[in-house]
Amino acid sequence: MAQFLVLARDAGDPRREMSRMSPEELQRIMGKYMAWTTRLRDTGHLQNSNKLRDGEGRVLRRAGGKVTVTDGPFVESKEVLGGYWLIEAADYAAALALLQDHPHIELWPNASLELRQIHDFTQR
Amino acid sequence: MSANPPLAGLVDHLFRHAAGEMVAVLARLLGPARLDLAEEAVQDALLRALQTWPFAGVPDNPRGWLFQVARNRALDHLRHETMSREALQWPAGIVDLAQRGAGSFGDEALAMMFMCCDPALGHAAHIALTLKLVSGFSVEEIADASLERAPAVAQRLVRAKREIRERRLALEIPLPRELAARLESVLEVMYLLFNEGYAAHGGESLVRADLCDEAIRLARLLAGNPQTDRPAVEALLALMLLQRSRLPARVDALGDLTLLADQDRSRWDRGLVEAGLRHLERAAVGTEISPYHIEAAIAAHHATARDAASTDWPTIRRLYDDLVAQKPSPVVALNRAVAVAMAEGPEVGIRALERIGDDPALAQYHLLPAVRAGLERRAGRRPEALRHYHAALALRCSAPERRFLERQIAEIEDELSRAAPQ
Repeated sequence: MAQFLVLARDAGDPRREMSRMSPEELQRIMGKYMAWTTRLRDTGHLQNSNKLRDGEGRVLRRAGGKVTVTDGPFVESKEVLGGYWLIEAADYAAALALLQDHPHIELWPNASLELRQIHDFTQR
Repeated sequence: MSANPPLAGLVDHLFRHAAGEMVAVLARLLGPARLDLAEEAVQDALLRALQTWPFAGVPDNPRGWLFQVARNRALDHLRHETMSREALQWPAGIVDLAQRGAGSFGDEALAMMFMCCDPALGHAAHIALTLKLVSGFSVEEIADASLERAPAVAQRLVRAKREIRERRLALEIPLPRELAARLESVLEVMYLLFNEGYAAHGGESLVRADLCDEAIRLARLLAGNPQTDRPAVEALLALMLLQRSRLPARVDALGDLTLLADQDRSRWDRGLVEAGLRHLERAAVGTEISPYHIEAAIAAHHATARDAASTDWPTIRRLYDDLVAQKPSPVVALNRAVAVAMAEGPEVGIRALERIGDDPALAQYHLLPAVRAGLERRAGRRPEALRHYHAALALRCSAPERRFLERQIAEIEDELSRAAPQ
């Protein structure tokens, strides 16, 4: 089994869209996310998941013996990194299969998921 | 963050109900002039949940989590205002808000209900405000439930909130001596909401159980508080529970309408019938007999009849006589005519219908010709029945009702073609 990092990115501002939604609609959306995470957990694919704090982050650089720290965003200015899921799958194909019906890309037209395999040096 | 976030499912309508409670509580603390701030803070809290819980899991106490965040958002706004404008005292109580448990916000929700239904506001505003502020409906959802266009609803809400500010309406449960009068408009809103769910006008579905359930939830809040638990409240709650018990049998598997006489009574929700009868008993204290008492008594007769044939129509007819005397509305008169026909035969029923037939309030009401058609058919006059069914079809009704009417027409035409000599 290989480990994959699934990064949830929001392009644009889904908040604006969500701010017009009713509590009932928001709960329905929440239900979709929870259904996906529950299924992955129940099938043993989900290892961990975390939300990253919005609108903050630091970027460190060292030049001329001096460390400079700048405030994030570390991605394109309109893109917000919302959080990540750490999942297990046999390979990229299997991991992609798990993400086909992910609510994040189903619900938000400009949102994306980034899939990165974690390099496991114990395996060849 | 935990590696195993709890994934407990959320209670149905949690967001909707919690939104109503949170807006009520924050508005009480911030003052009704700041309704918008209360609503904004609550919406922010729900958005934050949506951005957090998919990753972090649903917290153990989702409601408490939402309250805490909404309260913090409101405080942030106030802090901001305080720095930029005049010094502003933080409302006492806002800080310990999150410590209060679920279900302890009934008073605030009731106060909000009474404010939304303040007689100083228009009738249409009562419904829109109640659905928005107490029930957590969006403008679009209110438009769906009240057959209005969303921009009209939005405008109505803005105007009503301005009225609330300018008239400085109180966010309080009325004093005992004012309560009965103030309750009237609150109960009216609930019953309208219930009826819209019970017989959805227009649209694809015949019933909207969610609207019925919301009306029942609000009535339960009133009945659950000793300050507002009056006989009329119990009677309306009984009425709605008894009607609600029949919903599963009212629509068949295809979403089509099944009339009371043809319903499979084993599909009636017995738990709701019993709850309804219990509340009807509680409504019987004192001397007050509201129209809801009478309607609930009628509903109880139907709910307890073993089958359609053993329905006590003479008693139901007398109850309708009482109801017409108390609440002389054309729709009540129409229902009475049905009871008359069941008790005394179609011809007597048709005569009762003829007496209300030219009421302008019923001119666009499809059930008037539909009922007439059914009675003509029972009286054996098929061509007359056809004519009235076609008249009913020409008026606005929901898609399942339309299919019902078309089915009746097809049946009669079939009977006619078989009866006609070849």
